[in-house]
Amino acid sequence: MTLVVRRLFSLSGSLSVFAVLAVLMSCSNNPYSEKDDDVNVLYTVYSEAPKTLDPAVSYNVTSHSIIGPINETLVEYHYLKRPYELMPGLAKEVPKPNVLGDGRVSYTFALREGVIFQNDPSFELGGAGKRTRKVVADDYVFEFMRVADPGVNSPVIHIFSKIEGFHDFGVRLLELRKDPAFKAMPVREQYQKAGPIEGLRAPDDYTFEVVLTAPYPQLIFWFAMPFTTAVPWEAVQYYDGNDGRPRFADHPVGLGPYRMTHYDKQFRIVLERNENWYGALHPEWKAPGAVYPGEGEEGDREKGYQSDELAGRQLPFIDRIEFRREKEAVPKFNKFLQGYYDKSGITKESFDKVIQGNDLSPEMASMGVSLDRVVQLSVSYIGFNMVDALVGTSAGDRGRKLRQAMSLAVDADEYIELFLNGRGVPAQSVLPPGIFGNDPEYKNEFRAVDLERARRLLVEGGYPNGIDPATDQPLKLRFDTAATSATQLITIRYLVDSWRKLGLDVEVKSTTYNKFQEKVDNRVHQIFQWGWVADYPDPENFLFLLTAAMADKHGPNSANFRNAEFDALFAEMKSRPDGDMRRSIIEEMLGILEQERPWIELVNPVSYVLFHEWVNHYKPPGFEISTLKYQGIDSTRRGELRREWNVPVMWPVYVLLVIAIAIIAPGVLSLIRERQ
Amino acid sequence: MEDWMISNLVTVGLLAAMVGCVFLIRRSRLWSEAAVELWKRRPIAILCVSLYLAVAILDSIFWVGGVDTGEDVVSAHEAKSVIDRLFADARERSYSSPFADVEFYGGKALAHPGSHPLGTDIIGRDVVYLALKGVRVAILIGGLTSLIAIPLSLLFGISAGYFGGRVDDFVFFVMSTLASMPGLLLLIALIMAMGRSTLSICIALAVTSWVGFCRIVRGETLKLREQDYVQAARVLGVSEVQIVLRHILPNLAHLVIITFVLTFSGLVLSEAVLAWLGVGVDGSWGQMIDQARSELSRDPVVWWNITAAGSALFVLILAVNMVGDAVRDVLDPRTLRERS
Amino acid sequence: MLAYIVRRLAYGAMVVFGVLFFLFVVFFWVATPDDIARRALGEKAPAIAIEQWKENHGYDRPLWPWESFDNNMLFAHYKSMLTFDFGRSDADDVPILEKIAGGVGPSLALTVPMFVLGLVASVLLSLIVAVFRDTYVDRMGIVLCVFGMSVSILLYIVGAQYLIAKLLRWFPISGFDPSPDVVLRFLALPIIVGLVSSIGSNVRFYRTVFLEEVHRDFVRTARAKGAGEARIMIHHVLRNAMIPILTQIVIAIPFLFTGSLVLESFFGIPGLGALSVEAIQGNDFATLRTMVFVGSLLFVVAQVVTDVSYSLADPRVRLE
Repeated sequence: MTLVVRRLFSLSGSLSVFAVLAVLMSCSNNPYSEKDDDVNVLYTVYSEAPKTLDPAVSYNVTSHSIIGPINETLVEYHYLKRPYELMPGLAKEVPKPNVLGDGRVSYTFALREGVIFQNDPSFELGGAGKRTRKVVADDYVFEFMRVADPGVNSPVIHIFSKIEGFHDFGVRLLELRKDPAFKAMPVREQYQKAGPIEGLRAPDDYTFEVVLTAPYPQLIFWFAMPFTTAVPWEAVQYYDGNDGRPRFADHPVGLGPYRMTHYDKQFRIVLERNENWYGALHPEWKAPGAVYPGEGEEGDREKGYQSDELAGRQLPFIDRIEFRREKEAVPKFNKFLQGYYDKSGITKESFDKVIQGNDLSPEMASMGVSLDRVVQLSVSYIGFNMVDALVGTSAGDRGRKLRQAMSLAVDADEYIELFLNGRGVPAQSVLPPGIFGNDPEYKNEFRAVDLERARRLLVEGGYPNGIDPATDQPLKLRFDTAATSATQLITIRYLVDSWRKLGLDVEVKSTTYNKFQEKVDNRVHQIFQWGWVADYPDPENFLFLLTAAMADKHGPNSANFRNAEFDALFAEMKSRPDGDMRRSIIEEMLGILEQERPWIELVNPVSYVLFHEWVNHYKPPGFEISTLKYQGIDSTRRGELRREWNVPVMWPVYVLLVIAIAIIAPGVLSLIRERQ
Repeated sequence: MEDWMISNLVTVGLLAAMVGCVFLIRRSRLWSEAAVELWKRRPIAILCVSLYLAVAILDSIFWVGGVDTGEDVVSAHEAKSVIDRLFADARERSYSSPFADVEFYGGKALAHPGSHPLGTDIIGRDVVYLALKGVRVAILIGGLTSLIAIPLSLLFGISAGYFGGRVDDFVFFVMSTLASMPGLLLLIALIMAMGRSTLSICIALAVTSWVGFCRIVRGETLKLREQDYVQAARVLGVSEVQIVLRHILPNLAHLVIITFVLTFSGLVLSEAVLAWLGVGVDGSWGQMIDQARSELSRDPVVWWNITAAGSALFVLILAVNMVGDAVRDVLDPRTLRERS
Repeated sequence: MLAYIVRRLAYGAMVVFGVLFFLFVVFFWVATPDDIARRALGEKAPAIAIEQWKENHGYDRPLWPWESFDNNMLFAHYKSMLTFDFGRSDADDVPILEKIAGGVGPSLALTVPMFVLGLVASVLLSLIVAVFRDTYVDRMGIVLCVFGMSVSILLYIVGAQYLIAKLLRWFPISGFDPSPDVVLRFLALPIIVGLVSSIGSNVRFYRTVFLEEVHRDFVRTARAKGAGEARIMIHHVLRNAMIPILTQIVIAIPFLFTGSLVLESFFGIPGLGALSVEAIQGNDFATLRTMVFVGSLLFVVAQVVTDVSYSLADPRVRLE
């Protein structure tokens, strides 16, 4: 071989040896630093970077999972008890509504004395050297004023508009802000000048009163959400994004069991123990929100959620929580299998590996993984635009029969089996199981597949065999969607195929999210698919979706369903306490929906949660509430198992190394020979 | 006029054009020798491409009625292509592996046991059928996009090269502007704006890919303009349009062919990436791959979907690339001149 | 010379202006200010919040100058871009400069090794193939190249994730963590995929360049004079081929910064490419226009540098 050739080959060979060595050195699939092995840390995931961590504004699952442990609230949900029950958090008791004479209702919260905020440099604004201060009723008033402030853009401003003077405060603020001098003042002063809000009172530092203009029993549920936490004005003023300081939306300052210590929203967020938490500072209070509960649901003892040893133990158990971003479901699940995440849902791809029959597969069980199933307080449905000429109210009886027929063709059981691996129950009505008013025995007559009956209905409706008499062709309908990924489109394809069996030609119009919203806003959509996740466990939070008031622009009643009788019944049942009367009103309402079919109810998703043997006493909730302080980890055991499970397969590297040397050797040999 | 009727007309027109091309080639010694040379070099690749073309043509001829579509009542009223008819009654309920008798998960008996050489997808459609439907989509994307992009490049390139001056400046400016924008982003933005129909995706692809060829055309036109016979024609007062049509355009023909074949594969591959990002054409192989990639993590693995789509894509691209290389070698001006 | 540079720069500036205009038109064709607001605030946002948001972010003005000369968005768009006042992201109000600063690191960590290793590997391989031209090695090489080029990058990604990350467990499937002790693991797989998918076409390109040089007269002369093959390859062929190679390198530099959109998206690397894709899918006009502006600025600068260096090397070019 010529010299050049040998030189070239040996150069390539050397480079490949180098590459192989580099591979060897960095070889490991552990996404965390080795020094974190065996530390009391919980690893959890989020898929979308949170837009904001401002408790007045954030309204999605990711942000709430992060600020939930930071911004605790006056009342909380009991960790173990079902049906879901509220218990005191930062307030001493869960207040009952106090009816005032003239139709108004008030709630009085008695605040715990001695609660302080987490340490933070922003408290210097209150005095040099100050790192924290006591939490007082004014801090709650301040947060509510922020929600009322149109400039903050809180998405729940209309919920709290029932508070006396709430809306007017916002109007006054906007008016005053037209003056640039006013606008330049710090926010707290602006509120003081524009305020107060009549319905929010702080008669003393530890009493917080809320007065509503009309009864709204579900209001108390909103007090379990971060919108109503206490927010220090110092933090809002200090964290304005200037001079290198982060914005308040990226730097929450709270009073919960954890505080945020690292914020790289694109891939890593870290929470650590807050030593100022009232549970840590005042264990003698034995506050319900600071100790592990002693009561629970039936079956909790067997599952390890409840025990004498755990009851009354101080919270939280975990020192640090690491949130990591995983956009794709498959890598996330694989990392769970490798021990790098502590809990996981089950992707549909891995379902058969994990579940066999109705239980964990032997492979999973041998890894020590456990499974828990929870029905989610949510419902997914196919909706009809009731304003549409063909499928809506204006089509009268014809339209109704069409909707009923289409409802009879959709096989929710098969849908769940094919696309959700059985992780769901067919929804019979608007209300999912676990919500008052849901009757486990109730079977919606139009949600059992009956193609014969559907065909008869079509004949009655004037579309024999699905043929539109006007064109002598199959009736053309439209399914509008914003789904663009192949997996989502295929589920819609399945639905379309069901309707084709009736002879109905449903065309799928998939567009960008913008165009889809536009269609919905302009009410030109026809058939669509949507879902709703409960904010709180009350039937009002589902039934309101079909009231006429919600059909206005941007309202959640995308089906534009307007039914006077339904609305009247809704007004009656809204404020009633749970009981027989309420139940019978709800039954009537569901009866109307059953016949009118503005929705084809599809699925109540069941979430399957897998967790490793080192995760202790984690009871997954059916809707989004924060439970991080109740969870425990055995990190030593985790370290052991992780190392056991993640030995890289190295033999191909050695093979490559041998080949690389085989290529260099002749070149090197010839070099040596030349020297001699 | 229904969509499918237009497709039929266009297909017939295309076939007629192809026949016409064959006649033209036979009449010119230069071109027929080039064609023979091409065939000698790459018979297998050419056969491959022709096979794909044949499938695409078969999938473009539609008519209504005359086929039993089973449960799907609506289908009886729809126009079905030749390919559709071959697979009209091959639906199952869900996944099945190649040549299986039972469903893949759960073991229920299939409606048509043993008749799916590459299995079925999640809603029971035959995978061979899906892969075959993807052929027309791929060829449409490559073909239609080039059909838009090449005339665009010719128009701008020749104008810039021939007329020079302000026209050249303007064209050069437009080309530089487009070239300095990140292509994929622009592509996604255009498709989001225009919708996801095959036509808009082809337009978007054309807009982002005409610049490369335009530069070459401009360069060639500059050279051609300086040729003696062109100078002579101008002196004699022949109209500019005549000169362009009779002297410039024919001499660019070989470039057009080379470019068409070489960029075809790039376009189909781009569409696959677009499908993965959610803005591809419905029914393309890219969409099949996108959907199938999560299937690889199932246990047991569902491998036949991605194998079918991936292989179909790979073979087409490989064949086109090989033909493209051969075309470029055969039509290289140097060799053309040497031969003539 | 100076006049030439100035002319080129002026031309580049015009191109940037054109890009900004085109961007404005296309984006507002895709999304209206209402859409941007709704994306930023979330689905459940009431109408009053949307109006307020638009006012806060300057989207409540008319779009075009003919609607209102003093107060329109097109002029505001030009003004902020040209003064490099990028402002805050529409999606989450983070200063865009901060986002870019955060994304540059991961992008470069991915593209620079990929580029350097790719360059070295392609040049080496094509030199080898050129030395063995017209032999079996050459033909084998070409066939492998064409095969490599014909495989879609999606298949490379899927294959790599399946084989290397899942079966062999050498590297994590996706994700990113910049801590120095783990960062290499996350970069290894996308770099490998990027290398393997582009090596085919690169080797072919360089091979063509080298072969063109090899067939030149002066090489024949050198060989006739008795120079060794090694000397010929390195001193004559490689040096003359440097010009097209260098052109390639300079033109590639802007793309090093803008990042590989596909690789970053699928491997979860939070670089500028992923940022751009997110901006487009999330209707974040502010971020998107900044990314495109910066990208085209870099591209124009690279073009000018190339043109100027060409004209320095070859006086004939200047006279054009």
